[in-house]
Amino acid sequence: MRNFLIRKVIASIVTLYAIVTANFVIFRMAPGDPIRMMFRDPRVSAEQLAEQTEKFGLSGSLWDQYLAYMGNLLQGDLGLSFWQKRPVIDVIAERIPQTLMLVLTALALAVLIGTFFGALAGWKSGKKTDSIILSTSLTLYSIPSFAMGIVLLMVFAYILTIFPLGGIRTPASGFTGIRSVLDVLWHMILPAFSIILWYVGEYILLTRSSMLDVLGQDYILTARAKGLRERLIRKRHALRNALLPVITITGVNLGFAVAGIIEAETVFSWPGVGRLIYDAVLKRDYPLLQGVFLVFAAAIILANFVIDLIYSFVDPRIRVGE
Amino acid sequence: MAETGLLKTTDTQKKKTREFFQLLLGHGMGKTGIIIIIIFLVMAFFSPLLWTNDPYKSGEAKDILVKPSAEFWLGTDDMGKDVWSQVVYGARVSIMIGFIAAVITVVTGAFVGIVAGFFGGKLEEGLMRIVDFFMMLPILPLMIVLAAVLGPSIWNIVFVISVVSWPTTARVVRSQVLSLKERPFIEAARCIGAPNKRIMFREILPNVVPLLFAQSILMITETIYAESVLSFLGLGDASKISWGQMLHFAFESGAMSNSPWWVIPPILSIVLLIVSFSFLGTAVSDVLTPGYKEKRGY
Amino acid sequence: MRTTKHGLHRGLLIALTLFVVLSMAVFAGGQQEGAGQAEGGAEQAEPVRMTAGFTQEESLETLSPTDAWQYGEMGCMFWPLVYDQLWIMGPGPDYEAIPALAKSWETEDNQTWTFHLREGVEFHDGEEVTAEDVEFTLEYFVHSDPVWEYQEVMTTDIQVIDKYTIQFTLEEPHGGAGGKYPPGFWTPIVPKHIFEPVKDSIPSYPNEEAIGSGPFQLKEFKSGEFVWLEKNEDWWGEGPYVDEVVFRMFGSEDARDMALKRGDIDMIGYAGVDPVSAKQFEGLDNIEILTAGGLQIPWVTFNLHNDTPIQDLAVRQAIMYAINKQRIADIVYLGYAERVYGFIYPEMSEFNPNVKRYNYDVDKAKEVLAGAGYTDTDGNGVLNDPETGEDLEFEGPINSQKTYMIKTMRLISEDLAEIGIKINVKPTDQSTLLDYLYDPVSDNYTISLIDEEPGPYADWVWEFARSYENGGEGWNTAYYNSEEFDSHLKALLSADTLEERKEHSYAMQRILSEDLPFGFLVRPEAIDPVRTDNVTGYVEAMGISNWINPWSYIKAKPVE
Repeated sequence: MRNFLIRKVIASIVTLYAIVTANFVIFRMAPGDPIRMMFRDPRVSAEQLAEQTEKFGLSGSLWDQYLAYMGNLLQGDLGLSFWQKRPVIDVIAERIPQTLMLVLTALALAVLIGTFFGALAGWKSGKKTDSIILSTSLTLYSIPSFAMGIVLLMVFAYILTIFPLGGIRTPASGFTGIRSVLDVLWHMILPAFSIILWYVGEYILLTRSSMLDVLGQDYILTARAKGLRERLIRKRHALRNALLPVITITGVNLGFAVAGIIEAETVFSWPGVGRLIYDAVLKRDYPLLQGVFLVFAAAIILANFVIDLIYSFVDPRIRVGE
Repeated sequence: MAETGLLKTTDTQKKKTREFFQLLLGHGMGKTGIIIIIIFLVMAFFSPLLWTNDPYKSGEAKDILVKPSAEFWLGTDDMGKDVWSQVVYGARVSIMIGFIAAVITVVTGAFVGIVAGFFGGKLEEGLMRIVDFFMMLPILPLMIVLAAVLGPSIWNIVFVISVVSWPTTARVVRSQVLSLKERPFIEAARCIGAPNKRIMFREILPNVVPLLFAQSILMITETIYAESVLSFLGLGDASKISWGQMLHFAFESGAMSNSPWWVIPPILSIVLLIVSFSFLGTAVSDVLTPGYKEKRGY
Repeated sequence: MRTTKHGLHRGLLIALTLFVVLSMAVFAGGQQEGAGQAEGGAEQAEPVRMTAGFTQEESLETLSPTDAWQYGEMGCMFWPLVYDQLWIMGPGPDYEAIPALAKSWETEDNQTWTFHLREGVEFHDGEEVTAEDVEFTLEYFVHSDPVWEYQEVMTTDIQVIDKYTIQFTLEEPHGGAGGKYPPGFWTPIVPKHIFEPVKDSIPSYPNEEAIGSGPFQLKEFKSGEFVWLEKNEDWWGEGPYVDEVVFRMFGSEDARDMALKRGDIDMIGYAGVDPVSAKQFEGLDNIEILTAGGLQIPWVTFNLHNDTPIQDLAVRQAIMYAINKQRIADIVYLGYAERVYGFIYPEMSEFNPNVKRYNYDVDKAKEVLAGAGYTDTDGNGVLNDPETGEDLEFEGPINSQKTYMIKTMRLISEDLAEIGIKINVKPTDQSTLLDYLYDPVSDNYTISLIDEEPGPYADWVWEFARSYENGGEGWNTAYYNSEEFDSHLKALLSADTLEERKEHSYAMQRILSEDLPFGFLVRPEAIDPVRTDNVTGYVEAMGISNWINPWSYIKAKPVE
């Protein structure tokens, strides 16, 4: 067990280190002079350029820059945003709660709905219910969430005018307490929906295939042979065992799920980390872009690590297998 | 999922292939997928015959944001360009990008997977670490970052997608190779002293072809998806027409809400094409599942 | 084992739900503070609020005094409402200099200026505005970031004569449009007591309170979401008449325009709507469409540093003849545009009507090219350079964030294809493109489009053509170098009388049209749909809301 943990920790750290280094290299490939680009005003003097080059850690040899970059990173310093002229870490930290709120709500609902229908489809494998659920979920899963977002926005905000046009709250409303919470929820419905529909498709597919695996296992056959009622088997045995792989795969798929957040936040101008990456790209704010990328990567590595950990407690086979 | 159930090389390959496609066409989703894909392929190949106006040529002032009509089947955009012609032309770009990226990804992935699986040991360990590393990356942010740094061009998009996607294939192929390695016919080849290169590419490769086929389909859908998202986010090649580009311009124009004919066709095309490939992919993996043939009573 | 598993996934769900609820609660808690203030105000009558809509690209992300202000549209509007200047440019058509913090000013030689400040003006935090604040602004603030460095506020000597009198000497004499405008245009007077402790790192000061002395004060700011301003009751000037001004951010132009239709906003926050969007507002109740000649002028810039036939005047002339300006006006701006011939708007008194105009004439273009020896020697449809034999093929990177630029460049390349010149239109992100343009020596572009908003007091815009030899500071995207032009520019900036000034302005317009470092096409109109059911009295100055026009917010009155 301890060995397993240590190995996981080391693997995570190595991956993180590789990502950090790749991050450094990628941004040295960008066209143009980033410091010059920082000034929208072209009347920048050579001294000012030199000063900023120093400030943003872009002076000296590549190796020196790399050391400085790593050193700063270890102290939690992601540099200064070109555009906002304040620490990248602050800019990102501000946005994290909004993103978590949106993504966790969407994820929770998607897991509930997705596993239910996925289990149902798996159980009814080969029947009409199965093929309807399967093709619906494949279709949902195939609709990019930005496209879904545009359609939702057009229908519910533009044409029917029943939902807000984007944002996280009614601006300058002065709402307090429960009203401000309701206001945020109200704004969250459309963006959350565009993500949920996408995730649901994924979870149905995952649960269904996991369910199919489980249903082929001996103990289910035994249970059936014992004459247990179908519902009981489904609930007690099949679903419970089918859910475990779903949890692991959720971890693996997080890297992919991030896409839904970026798209939804962009379409609905939800002020989270996902839109930040879009803004950073638009303004070619390289330190910010670097920072957001790193945060996403770190979050995924952490999530995977936690899930591995949980899973190893639950399923001893994993530990043995390693 | 498609790691199991393989056909043996010793049998006549042709018969197997024919049977495979027969099963595929008998599969409801497979049939639907194939039909839609064929329609899009026709659109892509014959787009110069199908477009009613030059999709790159701006219209005159009177042609701007015209509703669908006999002259403009799906109306026009804010430069007076025909939407139908752009959709047809967009199919060409989307499908081309999809196929090229899929080929690059699958070839790279298969090569790495076969080498890793076949040789094993330190080499495998090293290669799989790299694969793990790539699989940990947040894909879309990485694509965004690369596209931003490399600049907007179709080829950069293909490059970015290939760089990010090959590891999935590598991993799947490797585990397949691991199980193949133990099979008698590989053992036999080894015994007669066949060189490694021969075993890898003459004996093992043909056996992973169906798997690669399934992977290619997956990669095509992901590429089409990725291209549309990157274009939508303004990182695409604005000098080329693609569905994602059309949406990007519509979203940026300030005219989207009044001209649904400009927005719906590209969205529908993206969705339909991805859905059809997903359907096909599901069908392929179903058909490749052992016992499928028997279950269907063949 | 089974119970563990069961407990596990239920536990996970509970944890997840808890997390969501908790984060909502924390989030709501964060709201309390700002919202508490609103409660107090709500006891009185419903405040009259004027709301302007901006797009995501235009939104203000930070209140720190850097280029985010001047180069962001929302920042441009925020700043003159919250901070006072020594004087402010009035609305059209006269655009007079209106005394603001300064009640009067005088100079003997255009170089040493004395300003007499209004007495008893207070910053929003109650501190009085004095000559010390002006001194601090000129001493530190204008040097903190290149964005504030206007020649007219670069001083060699500053003296505080008394609490309300300041005298300073400029590096260069300042003619101020023939005496019409004193120095200090677009320079906010910032509170010394707030900025002095951070005087060495002004650009990174977060400035969250944004204490100024302007007609509005900050109530709440959410980065990238909204700016909430309320009326400064103690403002020295006339107005404002509305109680609150809110700048709202929208994810796209579409969403913003839809909000205007729905009544969520009263007006567009910067430079109006896209022409393709204008039609949807026609004939709607409570909406009026105001149009005016716009502030913005886009133009073609040629890179004369680039060792290609673009250096040949004949090629540039042919290009200008071949561009169908009317078609650009019709297609890109749906007719909402007028032809321009230089940096000076046609309605201005300094506009020179007798410059070379390059009206659309394809035959003339072909003739000019043939006359200079360009023929298609390799039969590929593109003309060849008689000396090198190379194709007339030019790199044309273009701002991918501005759809009107992509459209314009496409039309230009269609037109130029007609005369055998090929443009490789390459949409490029704004930051990289500007880096290319402002650094012509790097040869990353040959032909491109750029736009600026010169405004009625446009002396600064000539910097685009000032040679690097004579002090050009990076605006010169064309790498243009003309001694004749530079000497006229120098004379213009220090000219005493309008007559003398006009002479130089005329000459400069003529020289640019003959040398063609830049090619001028059309000037789009500002199309402003506004709601008339909440406030009335929007003020026009090349559009109702732009960097020279904060007046709509100050002068608009609530509808009874």
